Amino acid sequence: MDMLTDFIQSGVLPTALLLVRAFVPVLALYVVWRSYTSFKKGQRRRDPVVMLCDEASGIRFPVLYWENSIGRSKSCDICLPDATVSRDHAVLMRREEGWVVCDTGSQSGTAVNGRGIEGQKLLSIGDTVTMGDVTLTLRNADSPPEKRRRVFKGFSHEAASPVKLMVAASLVLLLMALQGCLVDGAFVPTQAVPTLLVMVMGWGLYIYSIGIQHRVSFEIETIAYLLSGIGITVLAAFDIDGVKTQLAAMAIGVLLFCFMIWFMNDLDRVAKFRVYIGAGAILLFALNMVIGTEQHGAKNWIQLGPLSIQPSELIKIAFVFVGTSTLDRLQTKKNITEFLLFTGICMGFLVLMHDLGTAVIFFACFLIIAFMRSGSVRTIVLILSGAAIGVLLILQFLPYIADRFAGWGHVWEHINDNLGFQQTRVLTYMASGGLFGMGLGDGYLAGSGVFAADSDLVFGLLCEEQGLALALVVVLAIALFIFYARSDVTRSRSTFFSIGACAVAGMLLFQTCLNVFGATDVLPLTGVTLPFISSGGSSMMSVWGLMAFLKASDERTYAARRASKGSARTAARPASRTGEFPPPRPRGEAQDTGYTPRRQGSGGRRYSPPAGRHSRPARPQPPPPRQRDDMEDINSWK
Amino acid sequence: MKTVGFRSVVLYILLAVFLGGLGYLVVNLFFHGRQWAMQPYNGHLSAQMGDIKDRNGNVLATSQDGERFYSDDETVRRALLHTIGDTAGYIGTGVQSVMGDKLTGYNLITGLNRTPFTSLSSKLELTVDQAACAAAYNAMAGRSGAAILYDYETGDILCKVSAPTFDPAFVPEDIETNDAYKGAYVDNTLSSSFTPGSIFKVVTAAAAMDLWPDSWSTRTYECWGSEEIGGSNITCLHGESHGNQDMFAALGNSCNIYFAKLAGDMGGEALQRKAEEMGFNVNLDFHGVTVAKSSLDLSAANANELGWAAVGQYTVLTNPYHMMVLMGAVAKGGTYTQPRLTERGDFFSGVGTPGRLMGPETAQQLKSLLRSDVENYYGDWMFPQGMNVCAKTGTGEVGEGKAPNCWMVGFCDSAQYPYAFAVVVEEGEGGIETAGSLVSAMLQALA
Repeated sequence: MDMLTDFIQSGVLPTALLLVRAFVPVLALYVVWRSYTSFKKGQRRRDPVVMLCDEASGIRFPVLYWENSIGRSKSCDICLPDATVSRDHAVLMRREEGWVVCDTGSQSGTAVNGRGIEGQKLLSIGDTVTMGDVTLTLRNADSPPEKRRRVFKGFSHEAASPVKLMVAASLVLLLMALQGCLVDGAFVPTQAVPTLLVMVMGWGLYIYSIGIQHRVSFEIETIAYLLSGIGITVLAAFDIDGVKTQLAAMAIGVLLFCFMIWFMNDLDRVAKFRVYIGAGAILLFALNMVIGTEQHGAKNWIQLGPLSIQPSELIKIAFVFVGTSTLDRLQTKKNITEFLLFTGICMGFLVLMHDLGTAVIFFACFLIIAFMRSGSVRTIVLILSGAAIGVLLILQFLPYIADRFAGWGHVWEHINDNLGFQQTRVLTYMASGGLFGMGLGDGYLAGSGVFAADSDLVFGLLCEEQGLALALVVVLAIALFIFYARSDVTRSRSTFFSIGACAVAGMLLFQTCLNVFGATDVLPLTGVTLPFISSGGSSMMSVWGLMAFLKASDERTYAARRASKGSARTAARPASRTGEFPPPRPRGEAQDTGYTPRRQGSGGRRYSPPAGRHSRPARPQPPPPRQRDDMEDINSWK
Repeated sequence: MKTVGFRSVVLYILLAVFLGGLGYLVVNLFFHGRQWAMQPYNGHLSAQMGDIKDRNGNVLATSQDGERFYSDDETVRRALLHTIGDTAGYIGTGVQSVMGDKLTGYNLITGLNRTPFTSLSSKLELTVDQAACAAAYNAMAGRSGAAILYDYETGDILCKVSAPTFDPAFVPEDIETNDAYKGAYVDNTLSSSFTPGSIFKVVTAAAAMDLWPDSWSTRTYECWGSEEIGGSNITCLHGESHGNQDMFAALGNSCNIYFAKLAGDMGGEALQRKAEEMGFNVNLDFHGVTVAKSSLDLSAANANELGWAAVGQYTVLTNPYHMMVLMGAVAKGGTYTQPRLTERGDFFSGVGTPGRLMGPETAQQLKSLLRSDVENYYGDWMFPQGMNVCAKTGTGEVGEGKAPNCWMVGFCDSAQYPYAFAVVVEEGEGGIETAGSLVSAMLQALA
């Protein structure tokens, strides 16, 4: 112990801590990068599981996605160039119970096995689906997986094991907590308590997810855990008492995350509750208007005894729920009027509450969802011009808002007034920190009491105390969510998840932009939080909740759970010959086991779509049927 | 789902915006990080700065336990305040502000962290002599003004004092409200310009030398103490009449009427041109600090105003630093050595491009004029023996019922004491009495 004290008081300590701070971003970058590459590595190969065969012409349509649009339009996943087929005719979807087809308002209607359908109809292998003059038969896919080529495969060909990444992330947090314990040349072990609690929560989630739910991937949670830990450790060095709220919020957030993943498993349930979620959001806003309290110029708080909540943060989750949609609904109801109305109401409330930063975030999220749903640039341009008029009107009637931005780009002329005080402090202390920071708890941004140093300006705090390198790793991790969402977008179980994940990734990155660039005078200062890092309980809860959309978009999230259930049944089931990924078994598969793909006769026409990317020559010999248990499939991801 | 997948590319727009903004921020940090960090309010700075010493090794400033300490001698602290800078950083031209990054060991990688590398390099030795500065400060006797002196051979600034000043160890609480501290954050040697009065006659003389290279020394004018020129009177100091004089006598007597008539004969354009050649209306650069310019604008001057401008009144302003290098140029054949504050290759050091302010003949002729001034009019007894001082005094009338600015500019024509100087004291008694004794005190301290 004496030796420890001596060491702490010797002049070596600052240099040793500097080296620790230089190592932390490297390790954090490793976790962030490997999480992403492992996530990519673990994904299923894009091979069809079933296919639709036009028996008349012999053309085969590989069914590549969980939800496939069928129609004459070239934008359809299965394009039938036949005049009797509507532009967007029907949707073929893989659901818990099997493959279902549903008509999406076609002219001539859709029939299964010759009988016209209304609503969703469950299909079995061998069933025929008639659309206009075209009749397609559902078949098992026969082509063996083809090796996918990718130019850049990351630095390693193997996916890192989830436990390894979690250990590395925990090491990052421990090294940061160690710095926290050594502030001011004394050893204060209690400083590490918040970080240790974060670790308990992170590993708790890990055990629940991998151990109990048997999920195979844990990358998104690892990143969320790492970022939350970094945020909480930095905040603990600033205010050890205030960080309790943050810890409690993270605990609630993790629970919310688990609940939402369960909730979104059943898309029917989601569809049923969607209206209530939307109505609840509006009610919450209304409640906020009535009993809300004002803090720092925005009336966006509800005081519940000792707790103060920012409802707008939680409404972000509801907003994504209301906005996103399954493919059959997208194809049936093409306009976004309903969602536009909902957005209008939300924005109206936010403007009335003077919470403009959040309003802008909602709007950005709305644009992403609107574009992904409609694909219409014209709609987006219309919406944007409408928004521009709205902004002009707001500036006309509330001119003081414009004043708040008067310092933008001229903050150095306003060093000592409120137009530039905060931004100049952020820039100065950010530059002071260099790449590796001045040390946890040794910052002046927080130390000298600059307002909102731990929330709106937290990027500056992070840069000053832990250095630009770690701050860049943090924002990079958030930016990478875009790639997580993108790589899942056609692999997810429904466009509901695809759009939801993209909306969330976009929203978080946009929020990060506003926070980072606002604090550093690249953009006007708007006062929004940096996801995971900023102090703010509601924000922490909400961002964990939003993570559920990203997680749910990954098909493995639910596959594993089914697999663990299903493995008990496997013995009773005959051999399956599906691809690498275990889909929900189409019902009636048993009766089709005898089915061997028809060999292509020399005269048989092969379907070749214009783009030519879905067709794949069928190998003459299909792979011999193998007895395969679902758990093996899971193992193949590891 | 294909279409939805395709549409998700819209996220890349956002990503591009994000990366663009982040790149902009990082590039800005790379180029401006130094300035951003070197802000007076930055608490990391004072705790990190290395020692500052004078040319003889006396400690002028040091850091201990996160606090900044200055010289033990209060006079030295006050005299060198503007050269070193204050802890709060309000004096932007001080070494602690301008060279803050060197003193703190700032770099983009480790920021303001104190590492074994930075503590080695963050010490600074200035060229100033604390005794000379203290002597100059004392000789100002509480008046406002500026005194600056340098070695015109090496460029070393030996003395640089500005007043009003305050004690950086005990910053007065009423510094913002008390009129006695008005302008205390301004370094008058670099950042102020004053009405020059008769010292500007040196410039007028140089213009005449240019225009009449053969006849300037024989040209004479008569002075009766007061004369109407251009509709108004031009008067000599105390209405003294100097009779018929040549330039040597007129400069020695500091005769206004002689120089007013001389300027009238050569015209405003010639004077303007010569003044600008000698560094008027130019912002000199002192290693990154922009020096307040000396200014002369005769474009709208009538004959009377031209006459007054020729003797350093009208709207003429001169800066002490500029006057010092002008004298350095006279001493060194027309081209001055760039002044410096540190010997080693840093911001305030180095041999900058030497400035050519006049031709060698003009320099030689001015030198003889200025030497004659001291030898025949002021008296060598004022200055330490053997310094061979060449100088010109001036009393710049500022009106508003205030006493004049008292100037003395000059140099020692001596290999042993190669000093050029410029001093100005506001509201003094007279050129020789106030400014002359200040120069004398500085030179005594350096003798």
